[in-house]
Amino acid sequence: MTAAGRYRLLGPDSVPADDEWIGRLRTPGPVRDQAVQHLHALMLRAARHRVSRMPDGAALGAVRRDEIAHAAADEATLSALGRLDSFEGRSRFTTWAYKFGILCAGVEMRRALWRDRDVRWHDVSEPLEPAATSPESFVEGRDLAAAVRDGLTQALTDHQRRVVVALLVDGVPIDVVADRLGSNRNAIYKTLHDARRRLRTHLEEQGFTREATTTEVTR
Amino acid sequence: MTEHRSIDSELIEALTAAGDPYLSCDDCFEQTDVAVESLLATDGHLDDPFRVHLLRCPACHDEAVSLAELIGPELGLTPTEATARLDAELVREGAP
Repeated sequence: MTAAGRYRLLGPDSVPADDEWIGRLRTPGPVRDQAVQHLHALMLRAARHRVSRMPDGAALGAVRRDEIAHAAADEATLSALGRLDSFEGRSRFTTWAYKFGILCAGVEMRRALWRDRDVRWHDVSEPLEPAATSPESFVEGRDLAAAVRDGLTQALTDHQRRVVVALLVDGVPIDVVADRLGSNRNAIYKTLHDARRRLRTHLEEQGFTREATTTEVTR
Repeated sequence: MTEHRSIDSELIEALTAAGDPYLSCDDCFEQTDVAVESLLATDGHLDDPFRVHLLRCPACHDEAVSLAELIGPELGLTPTEATARLDAELVREGAP
């Protein structure tokens, strides 16, 4: 039996069995068209779920959120169809598909929430005071905070400092930082990873141990 | 315009957190369906690179949580139970 003859159109209330998704999506004609519709429905479910879980998402309004979910489902469907070869059957197909819908919806929501917000690409020059409950811990915390500030300005490249300050000091989402810098999430996370390593090395050279960085300002 | 925050212990922890063993966001995405489904379905453990990445990358973490919430009910867990199992695994004792 040929691939085209293996599958029949499903009834209106049926969805593909998990082990039939790939075959149906690769069968030319109405069977594939129907499978794509079912795949889009999966993506829309995942996208709507992700949209509903986004902090501050309510500020966009219900209509805009649903627009974003549909746009994300469209993009996720195309993305998954272009990567069917990467599905190895190690998870259920539906789980594999959901991750595309979740990713696209999350990225679109963050972009929408930050569309009209500026990101300051500033140096860390403002006075920074540690939280402390005693004079001793205040002094120790101040020294550590000063060492961290020095590390940010001296140990990091300009690009690393922009990324670190935007992500960790100002709380800008990683996808927004990537967009504004013409980069991508993967590269920005690598920049953050390398910057953290440089900061740890800088603090160790200044005599601060790994444990000290988390205890001196909190005890 | 974003508000600036002071350097406190929480920020220092975030600035100096170790992200090793390293895993890229792209590789995290590639693994997330198998990793999350296996964790919820079998009570297994996450590989350390994937686990550390979720601890260090809020965006990938939130997406893994959303996936756990979505598939949890299909595996006999409520969304809350699925999220709790994932979060507990991220900070399990004995992990590097």
